[in-house]
Amino acid sequence: MTMSIRVAHLYGDLMNTYGDIGNILTLQFYAKQIGVEVTSDIVSLEEDFKADDYDFVVFGGGQDFEQTVVADDIQSKKAELIKFIEANKPFVAVCGGYQMLGKYYVDAKGQKLPGIEAMNHYTEQQHDHRFIGDVVIENEKNGNKYHGFENHQGITFLGEDEHPLGKVLQGYGNNGQDGTEGAVHKNTVGTYFHGPIMARNGNFAKYMLFQALQNKYPDTDFTEMKKQVKTYEY
Amino acid sequence: MTFKSDIATLAGKSSYWFLHTFMGGGSSLPGKITTKIDPNVLTELGKNYDVIIVSGTNGKTLTTALIVQVLKEKYNEILTNKSGSNMIQGIVSTFLEAKKPRNGQKPIAVIEVDEANVKLIVEQIKPKMFVLTNIFRDQLDRYGEIYTTYQKILDGIELDPSATVISNGDEPIFNSVELPNPQIYYGFENQLASGNFKAHANTDGIICPICHHILHYHYLIYANLGDYFCPNCGYHRPELKYKVTSVENQTPVESKFDIDNHQYQISVGGTYNIYNALAAYAVGRELGVTPEQIKHAFDANERIFGRQEEIHVGDKDVTIILVKNPVGTNQVIDLLTTENEPFSFMALLNANYADGIDTSWIWDGEFERLPKMNIQQFETGGSRYKDITFRLKVAGVPDDKHIVQPDLEKVVDDIKKMPTKKVYILATYTAMMQVRSILAKRGYIKGGQN
Repeated sequence: MTMSIRVAHLYGDLMNTYGDIGNILTLQFYAKQIGVEVTSDIVSLEEDFKADDYDFVVFGGGQDFEQTVVADDIQSKKAELIKFIEANKPFVAVCGGYQMLGKYYVDAKGQKLPGIEAMNHYTEQQHDHRFIGDVVIENEKNGNKYHGFENHQGITFLGEDEHPLGKVLQGYGNNGQDGTEGAVHKNTVGTYFHGPIMARNGNFAKYMLFQALQNKYPDTDFTEMKKQVKTYEY
Repeated sequence: MTFKSDIATLAGKSSYWFLHTFMGGGSSLPGKITTKIDPNVLTELGKNYDVIIVSGTNGKTLTTALIVQVLKEKYNEILTNKSGSNMIQGIVSTFLEAKKPRNGQKPIAVIEVDEANVKLIVEQIKPKMFVLTNIFRDQLDRYGEIYTTYQKILDGIELDPSATVISNGDEPIFNSVELPNPQIYYGFENQLASGNFKAHANTDGIICPICHHILHYHYLIYANLGDYFCPNCGYHRPELKYKVTSVENQTPVESKFDIDNHQYQISVGGTYNIYNALAAYAVGRELGVTPEQIKHAFDANERIFGRQEEIHVGDKDVTIILVKNPVGTNQVIDLLTTENEPFSFMALLNANYADGIDTSWIWDGEFERLPKMNIQQFETGGSRYKDITFRLKVAGVPDDKHIVQPDLEKVVDDIKKMPTKKVYILATYTAMMQVRSILAKRGYIKGGQN
């Protein structure tokens, strides 16, 4: 039996501005090395998202205008997205996607828009300033360094039960103040990393791939398969 | 002329003379000196010209060149700026370097202007026309998102409500804000308006500006350009005054098409270049150039396609193409599908300021189409060779056909070793400049920096 991972590319037609689709392409690339098939659907405005239909979610960053349209629509998917996240399924949310998983975000025009409260972080707005540039962090659990590119006006603060994806070594991270970048809750990772994060950080991609597989196929031993995946870091 | 701008002009002109005479070329330095002494010098320099401003994210340079070519059919004196000199200081330099206009016909200036500089220019010069090509996502680290980019252009247009705005009608954003200006639209009307579908998912600018539903299309030309309409509120493409009515033949070096049912030909490939030609046609027609004269202008055997010229290196025919954003890259990939012979493909990625320091955009390019073409050899290089190398691996380019070479000197060495006569090099701006300078040093092309 061929194993497969079904990816929902959440609002992939609207939140698609910074190459975040590369996360899915990279997942496919590594999965192919071990004979796992990855399929991907865009789930967008006025479409239902069902937690049981998917094994992995990617939710990218978009332009301010598109994000306000998505912020409105996503409330209709809130219950199923939380169900997905609480079932330990892997979810990578980047930039605007990351912001919308939290309590609220303030957009470029100063409007406060509700998130889906799947996580406890919240996002405020910097006045007329963006954090733009290369960013490097260190994951304090595994010691891995991750490389990316950040481009955001929102500044995000972590809530309780959340720990950062890493400590900022270069760049700004969540808010430029507390040295944190990203947020992790169960197998959901929020981050400001473009680049895309899974393309530039093969270890991270591999980790998320096997989380998805272990989740879907709990009785399978993936030790040998893990050895077969050759990752790239840059 | 005020005393201040007199002094400023003199200082600028003498620095131009010095640079031109002793340093073998001009630059934006004269403009810098002049604007330092008198920040409003352009008001004086530009007042005797009818000015046409060309802006938008893609295609400015070629559109500007084509407009000049077309207007030469009717006007004796046309001032224009060099590619890359499209910010205020470069534009001041362009006016400084101009010969004093002779009496008689009022000279025309066709000026390519960087999107963020339109307002700065219009504060000093009131143009007769704005020509807008498109607004695609372009180097987000510098310009921001498409709506903010368009707003920057609008900030300039708003200062001159009497100027005619000639814009691409197939681009939804150009119909999203009402303007007091006279407006003229150009676009493609070469298909039946019978389809009803969405653009490719990875396309920007597809939300209806009125009701925020996703736009549909009767037909698409590329990216989000086409005969769009909103199935929810009825918002739709404006009426086109100038139209491409059919596309007959496209190769990498030639395009044949009809505008308003007259046949034209340009010696460059790519659908995006047909849009550029159409924009130039629209300007020409508005200024009284006849279709026959425009045909003559397009046929003129002058090298106006600088960003896509063919260079001979040994027995190889090398085409270097500038890439800087996903839409442009996808258009180049489209162009390569019109190549009938086997070829070699090089992709050179730098991430200096002029290239855009964020390389994420390469993931929005449709590189997955490359392995299906008749490409015998791939090579990747440039300072961010790791990014582009991994991108091509993920796209399915096999390792045994893929050379990785960060050093551009060695990349140029490798051109001669390619297994095919035809070699296409896609390069970001500074990578292209470096390769051109290496080719110049080795005598394959003249000059180095342009």
